[in-house]
Parts: sequence; C-alpha cells; structure tokens
Amino acid sequence: MKMIHLTIDDKSIIAPEGTNIFQAALDNNIYIPGLCYHPKLSQFGGCRLCYVEVTERKHTRHRFACAHPVSEGMVVKVNTTEVNRHRKTVMEYLLAHHELACPTCNKSGECGLQNIAHELNMSPGRFKTVRMSAPVIRDNPVLELNRNRCILCGRCVSACKEIEGVGAIDFQNRGFKTVIGTAFDRPLDCSFCGGCLAVCPTGAWQDRTLGFSGRPWEFESIPTICPYCSVGCTIVLNTKEGSVRRVVSNDKLGINEGNLCVKGRFGHEFIHSPERIKTPLIKKDGEFQPARWEDAIEMVSDKLKQIMEKHGGNVIGGIGSEKCTNEENYLFQKFCRTVLGTNCIDNISNMKAPFLNGLLYKSVERGFFTDSLKGIENANTLFFFGVDITEAIPVVGCMARKAIQLNSANVVIANPRNIIFKNTAKNDVRLTYSLGSQHILLNAIIKVIIEDKLVDLKKIESSTSNFSSLCSSVQNVSLSNAEQLSGVSLEMIRSAAKLLTKPGNCCIVYGKDVIEDPLGEDTIKTLLDLCALIDVSNHSDIHPGRASIFCSRYHNNSQGVNDMGVVPEFLPGYVDINDAANKEKIEKLWGIKFSGNIVSKNSFNLIDLAKNGNVKSLYVMGADPLTEYPNGNEIRECIKNIEFIVVQDSFMTETAKLADVVFPSSTFAEKEGTYTNTGFTTQRLNRAISPVGNAKTDWEIICDIAKKMGQSFSYREIKEITEEIKKAAPVYSGFSYDRLRRKEFHWPSLLLDKIGSNKYTFFAIRDKSLKVKGEKEFPLVLITGASMNHQGAYSAKSKALVSVAPECFVEINDKDAKDMQIKNGDMVMVESRQGKLKMRSKVTRKSPSGIVFVPDAYVNIPINMLIYQEYTPVKIYTVLDN
Amino acid sequence: MIIPLMKGLALTFKRFINPFTCVTESYPDIRPRLAKRFRGLPELQVEDDGREKCVACGLCAKVCPSQCISIEGAEDEHFRRYPKMYELDSFRCIFCGFCEEACPERAILLGDSFELATDKNSGILDKEKLLESARRKKS
Ligand code: SF4
Ligand code: SF4
Ligand code: SF4
Ligand code: SF4
Ligand code: SF4
Ligand code: FES
Repeated sequence: MKMIHLTIDDKSIIAPEGTNIFQAALDNNIYIPGLCYHPKLSQFGGCRLCYVEVTERKHTRHRFACAHPVSEGMVVKVNTTEVNRHRKTVMEYLLAHHELACPTCNKSGECGLQNIAHELNMSPGRFKTVRMSAPVIRDNPVLELNRNRCILCGRCVSACKEIEGVGAIDFQNRGFKTVIGTAFDRPLDCSFCGGCLAVCPTGAWQDRTLGFSGRPWEFESIPTICPYCSVGCTIVLNTKEGSVRRVVSNDKLGINEGNLCVKGRFGHEFIHSPERIKTPLIKKDGEFQPARWEDAIEMVSDKLKQIMEKHGGNVIGGIGSEKCTNEENYLFQKFCRTVLGTNCIDNISNMKAPFLNGLLYKSVERGFFTDSLKGIENANTLFFFGVDITEAIPVVGCMARKAIQLNSANVVIANPRNIIFKNTAKNDVRLTYSLGSQHILLNAIIKVIIEDKLVDLKKIESSTSNFSSLCSSVQNVSLSNAEQLSGVSLEMIRSAAKLLTKPGNCCIVYGKDVIEDPLGEDTIKTLLDLCALIDVSNHSDIHPGRASIFCSRYHNNSQGVNDMGVVPEFLPGYVDINDAANKEKIEKLWGIKFSGNIVSKNSFNLIDLAKNGNVKSLYVMGADPLTEYPNGNEIRECIKNIEFIVVQDSFMTETAKLADVVFPSSTFAEKEGTYTNTGFTTQRLNRAISPVGNAKTDWEIICDIAKKMGQSFSYREIKEITEEIKKAAPVYSGFSYDRLRRKEFHWPSLLLDKIGSNKYTFFAIRDKSLKVKGEKEFPLVLITGASMNHQGAYSAKSKALVSVAPECFVEINDKDAKDMQIKNGDMVMVESRQGKLKMRSKVTRKSPSGIVFVPDAYVNIPINMLIYQEYTPVKIYTVLDN
Repeated sequence: MIIPLMKGLALTFKRFINPFTCVTESYPDIRPRLAKRFRGLPELQVEDDGREKCVACGLCAKVCPSQCISIEGAEDEHFRRYPKMYELDSFRCIFCGFCEEACPERAILLGDSFELATDKNSGILDKEKLLESARRKKS
C-alpha cells in the first residue's frame, strides 16, 4: 500500500493512501472534533464539525477532515481562528434545539456533544432556542430512544445496517423534522445488539439495564470476557460500590472490535440475581439446608472417602464445565484423576460429539485451523455449513459482514433451515438441504469442483498424497441423486462450488447441525478434504489465499474444557492418556502415581457406566447435564442410580436440585482465569467484584476439598495454576498469564512451524446419506439449536434478556401450521414418544416443511426431555393457554 | 506604646457607654443572627409537589472535597431520575459549599444549622433527614 506523508498541526505523519484526514489524525493521537465519523462505520459527513484548513498543491482551502483523503505533502491545521469560528457556529446550531438535559442524561460525562461544547467554551448561542419535545420511545426492554438529544449524525443507522446487518432504524422525514426511527414507527424489533447505543455520540440511545444507577465517572471499568457463547467477546464491566451496573464495549480491546450481541451487552443482571445460591447447601430429608463451608466440605470429603474405600475411586464420575475457566477445569481433572483416582470424567460437549476433539486437533495440525476467529474478516469466501451464525455466534456474523464489506466476500450458506444471515454480499448462495443429506451434498460439491476443474488438479495431485482415492470416492456420486436427496438444485451446487474455489481466503465455519448429525464425523472429515482441496489450489505465489476451517462450539469455554483434558481419553493438551511416556511425565509433574485402573484402552462413557449402575457418586462442576445432555430421559434415569451427587453452581439448576451437596460458586465477574474461545484464542478474565454472598470460585472449592482429603492443592492464585498448565499441556507451553493482559494467546499459531511439511491425506469417504422422516403418529422432525437471546441459567436469570425473549417457542413451517390449523403465537404441545412440552408456536418460513425447530437455550423448557435420537419425530397440537 | 493602649481603652469606654453596638453573642441563650451567606449543614430542597429537587446527577458527590456525599440514582414510575439513596456524612462535611455551587438544579443549599454535635458515632444523614428542614419550611 502506498504511504502518504503529510503534516497535521506541525506534526509529520504517514498514512496509507486512501485514508481520510480524520482517521489519519486519530491514528496519530491528534484530536479533531467530530461527531459523525466512526472508524468502524462508513463515512457520512453530516455533523460538519471536523472542518479543518488544508493546504495542498499550494492552495489553502477549508475541508471536512472525515471526507477528504490525505495527499502527499498536505498541510492540515486543526485550530485556526477561522476554523474555530466555524466550529462554534456549528455547535450553536446543534445546541439550539438540543434538550440540554445533562443533569439527568446518562451520557453526561462521556458525551461527545458535551465534550465539544466544553472544549469550545460555548456560551448561550445567538440563535433562538427551540427545544424539541418529542416523546421518549421506550417500546422495548433494553433500549430507550430520546430523539430530543439526537444530533442526526447517522452513526446508529450505519451501525445497525453495516455491522449488525439489521437495518431496523433509519432517518425519517426531511428538513427540520428529520428524526431517527423505525419503519412506520413500529416498536423496535431487532436483535438488540446495542450497536446503536455503543456508537451514539449523544445520550439519544440509553441502556435501560443501567436505569439511572450510576454515572460514567463513578464507574470502575474492568475488561473481561463474555460468559455466554463461544466467540469470546471482550466486554467491559462497569462497577460501582461492588456491583456490576452495566456492560459497555471497547473498540480497542479483544477480538470483537466492540461489537457485542444482546447477551453480552444486556445479560449481566444474573450476577446480582436474588436467585444466586449464596451459601453451601446440604440436603437433609429431601430439603436443602444452608450449611457452613467447613461442614459442607467435611461432609463431601468424608462421603467421597467412604465411597472410595468401599468401591474404589473409579465409581466416582466427574463432569467438568464448559462455562468455568481453563484453570478450574484443569484443577478439576487433576482432582478427579489424583485425589479421587478416577478417569471417569467428561464434559457435555464431548459427550455430544466424542470425535470432535480429535478432528479439531487434526485440522490444527493440518494448518487449516491456525487463524484466530478474526481471520474471518480477511475472508473472500465464507462458507457456513450447518451453523446458524446469527443465533449461535452473533459477533462472528459481524466479522463476516466486515469481510463482505471490505473484501466483497461471497457467502455460501448450507443449512437444513433457511437461517437468517442478513448481509450485502454480491453472491449469497443458500443451500437448504434436507436432513441427513449433508454428506452427499458435500461430496457433490467436491465432485463438481474436480469435474469442472475449478481447482488446480495437477497441483493438488502433486502436493497431496492420495488425490486419486478422493477422485474415486466421488466418482460414484451421482449428481442427480444428490440433487434429489438433498433437495438442492444442481445449479446451486455448481454455483456454490464456483464461489468456494474463487481465489483468495476461504473460511469455512461448521456448527451444531453438522456435528450432532449421525454422519457428523464423516461430514467433518469430508469438509477437511474440501478445505484441503481449496487450500492447496488457492495457495500459490500469485494468490496467497488460504482455506481455513472453524468449528462453532456452544459455550464460552467449550474449547477450553477439552483443551484441559476433562475428557476420558486425553490428559491436558490432547495428550493420549494410554501412552506410558505421557503418563509418566504427568505423574512426575503432579508428584503422584496414577492408580492402575486409571488408564484404560477403551474410553469410558460416563453415562453408559452410570446406566449400568457403575457410577456411585457424581461430582459436577458448573454444568447442568440434566438439561444439556442430548437425551433427557436417559440422563434422568442414570442420575437415579447415583447415591451421592455434589454440584458446584451459581444457580439452582435441575442437576443441582438432585444433588446432596451444592456449593455456591462465583460467576465470571467474580473471578480470574482464562477462557479459550471457539477459535482457540485464550483470553484473560479480570475480577470485577468480590464474590456474591458466601460464594467461592470453583477452583478454591476444589482446592479446599482436595486439602480436606489429604492432598496438597496449595494454589494461592490463578497464576500458579496457569504455570502448571503450561508444563502439563504441550499446546499451552507458550502461555503466559501476565502477557494475556496485553495480548490474547492463540495456541495453534505456535504449532505453525511444525505443520505443513507432510502432505495432506484425504479421508476420501464415500458419500452417505440418511433417511430422516417423521413417523405416522409423529409426523414432524424436531431439531434444536442455539438462540441469540438465551443460553442456560445465566440468561434465564437476567431480567433484560427474559423480557426481550420471554418464552421458548417452536418454529413451524407456515404450510405445516396451516395444515394443522395452528396460528402464530398459539400455545402448542410438542410431543414425542418420550415426553411432551408446552410452548408457543412461531409460524415461519425458516424451518422447511416437515421440520420443527426448538431452541435448546431456555432452561425452563428442557427440550432434551423429548429427544431420544438425533432427529426425533414429534407431533404438535394446540392446547389451551395457561 | 502608650498610644495603642489608650486607643484600646477608648474603645472599651465607648462600648461601655453604648452597649448596643457590642458584638458579644450570648449564645446559647440567644441564637446568633447568622450572616445571609452563612454556610451551615447542606440541605436538600423540595419541589412544589413535595418531591426532592435533586435528580441524582452526582455532581455534588463528585465535587465534594471531603467525599461525604454518596448517591444511588434510580428511575421512578414516570421514568424520571431521582435519588433512591442520598447520604451525607455530617462528620466529614467541611461546609465548603462546593455542592451548592455544582448543583445544576439548586437542589442542595447550605442551610443555617450548625449545632451538629451528637453522642452518636455516625453522622450520616439520609435523604429524609436532609429534606426535613426544606419540607418544614414549605408547610
Ligand atoms: S446528550 Fe450530551 S449534551 Fe445532550 S443532554 Fe445528554 S449529556 Fe447533555
Ligand atoms: S440494537 Fe442493534 S439491531 Fe437493534 S437497532 Fe440498535 S444496532 Fe440495530
Ligand atoms: S441517535 Fe445517536 S447515533 Fe443515532 S443519529 Fe442520533 S445522535 Fe447519531
Ligand atoms: S454471547 Fe457470544 S457473541 Fe454475544 S457478546 Fe457474548 S461472546 Fe460475543
Ligand atoms: S448536584 Fe444537585 S441534583 Fe445533582 S446529585 Fe447533587 S443535589 Fe442532586
Ligand atoms: S466528523 Fe466529519 S462531518 Fe462529522
């Protein structure tokens, strides 16, 4: 890129060609007043405040800094008499009908308009003041719009359109009557990402979760990581008097550029929810009694010891947490493996898809998963396969839209449902395949790629080891058969194949719909093949493009819990537990000897063991298997067989209700540690407040019990645990807790030099497909997935999120609904052979005919009660409301 | 040396003849007349409808050099901003009057009470206490 030299206020600076003066000044810490320009948004030029004097090619003129590109030798003056006079006049106009309610306005103290008025030393203006008195719009639970404070800078309109892709708001009317509003003044019905709130330079948008409970200067700002989905956005907690008052974003921190979704921004109220468990609870005669910490710990350690003496340690099962930190999960598996002497540990994500860890590690080794999530922003082609980006990982959607805007990226979306992903891509190909046909669809794409020579076949042949077997495996794929089975027209398959193989970076993101399909493992393997095909061909000296693949996990630390080895087959860092050398290394580090039965050739499935009555006691840390395990009945049956259950959690979850002892654990705001997001990026949490009630952090609880049971778990701070993780888990060897303050840690980058030397071997799996159909009595097929508004107990206890999305719903295709005479909003019963649940209907075109969709994120509707196989047949009928 | 002495005695003599120009206050028997701009204990002011004028903007708390004011704002049923909690530690207040000066609503004024000695060991006054005198004056 060509660099331009210019001078702003006697400071020589260098800026890339095409930058505007405003941005160049911003990058060099030179201040130019301006309210409508925002680095994240397209330039608008509406506030007229950034007026500067520009001398270029010997002409001195006045220009708007945000609308004028830099040029060689340019001289810019920000503060001349003339410029200041102009600025003051503009401010006079702006303030002439501004509400000027600073004492009651929440923005006061961080308001762009106020700041500039202060800087320019504004006094009452020369113009007649006409204060606006439009009514304040409070039609939704999280955002309030006070148009009297709006200066029509247009930032919110652009943010909503460009970043969130929603376009819920726009300018209305013309001239003096211009205001910001929704179409036809309908109540705001959007994704409630709060992007408008974050970019608004004035107090026009307000965060209703804050109420009036604090002022910006009273808050302490603590950056930390969002506790919900697996994107791992950085959020900034604003605390006052030891409680969290609001969440704000910071464009300069983390991977999300200040973009958040509704959960991250408004879902913080659970931290101080009255329903938090605040003391340890011991069950006596079926009732929980509050207990002292010492008593509860003693009771648990005694009981566990008894069980160990009677049956040996391996009858104790442990379930780690996808929501706790890496350190806590590390300690948890160490506790189970050393103190309890059991290898019967697992976490829910691994129970759902035990093959995933191995495949992910393989994709890292192959170099397809070495970019952090931010890499999506550099994509030229985006392929979302079986993942509902908007609902599951919303901020990745923002990154994708950035790629679409900056690189004109193309989008290919394959999903069994017509998912919503609003964007402005030139090519947006949707492959809505029928359930069970994902693998054949993928094979058809590969076949088209090879047959139409969309990639450099010669190059692939020479740089992979078994291209011929891939060719022969797709040879038999009949495209017409694929077309028929998947319901995707050949034309669409062809155009998808064409887009995927376009030169440049290709990012593939797959998610739940792929992973939890019976053919999930094969599909992911074939996806890797596709990735290799594109990567090898795209990566040349002329086109330095790469293909990368990302997996969308569910919870904030679903990746970390697996990295930390809370799985039966791996020690921390994907080290095979059956390998004697590895075992020895860990034994030395931990200073113990594993008991003989800890290492086993066949990996345990905790639930199977429990079903057969081989698990006498269960220790659950921060998980709710009862609502999260795919098959609700099965897990409830298993739990019945278990004598003694210990749960650490912040809320009374379904699992906690069945426990014998519940320890109150602190939430993310009350602890330190690290989370690893779905793109393998490890980021650090910062403690914002002290634990609520008598709660303790999960790692402290584990240390206490371990100590009580006679082992020295003498960690005093998180850093000691991270130091140990560094030694135990090879992939975390470059990890430094202190460095995380400044920069996140991304372990695949460390493996970069080790990869790439050996040739890729295709899996070359012959196409498979499943017949997924309803039954006579249960004609519809149920699928589940993430929800943007909810995720487990945390969101259910956050008032704002509950009012945004109060009820669980079932999405029914409009044709099906018509046949069944169900109207939108009816109360319906969803019944499978295993159970039934009552919820609202939502008649949409999102789910195709024959398929109904229920989000699995509402804890009050445990949808797993209905599920007994991957695609459960259900029937739906209306019932009375109440 | 003798001249200043004479001057002093002259003044004594003058007061002796006309005791009404005397400045000695017979406090506590008679409450002293306070200057108009006397700065006593801060008092919160009320609107005509009896609500507090304060909108919990927090400027007084910010400006207070002895940090004796703490405020919790909240939203009332008409979505107005009001102080759910307003506390002033009378032990710490140094009667500088900065809060009065900072207040954009003229909701806090330094009043005329100065008899603040107490046998309690906390001088924290809550909102009701701080509003008392203004309410009394209103009715
Ligand atoms: S938007 Fe800014 S200037 Fe306007 S009332 Fe609020 S704080 Fe004051
Ligand atoms: S909350 Fe997000 S989606 Fe809703 S109007 Fe604001 S920017 Fe648009
Ligand atoms: S609401 Fe805020 S961001 Fe939107 S136009 Fe008005 S001042 Fe700008
Ligand atoms: S829920 Fe996910 S996308 Fe939303 S703010 Fe949190 S981490 Fe980001
Ligand atoms: S400055 Fe006035 S309005 Fe603001 S909090 Fe203090 S008393 Fe209330
Ligand atoms: S910042 Fe340039 S016109 Fe608003």
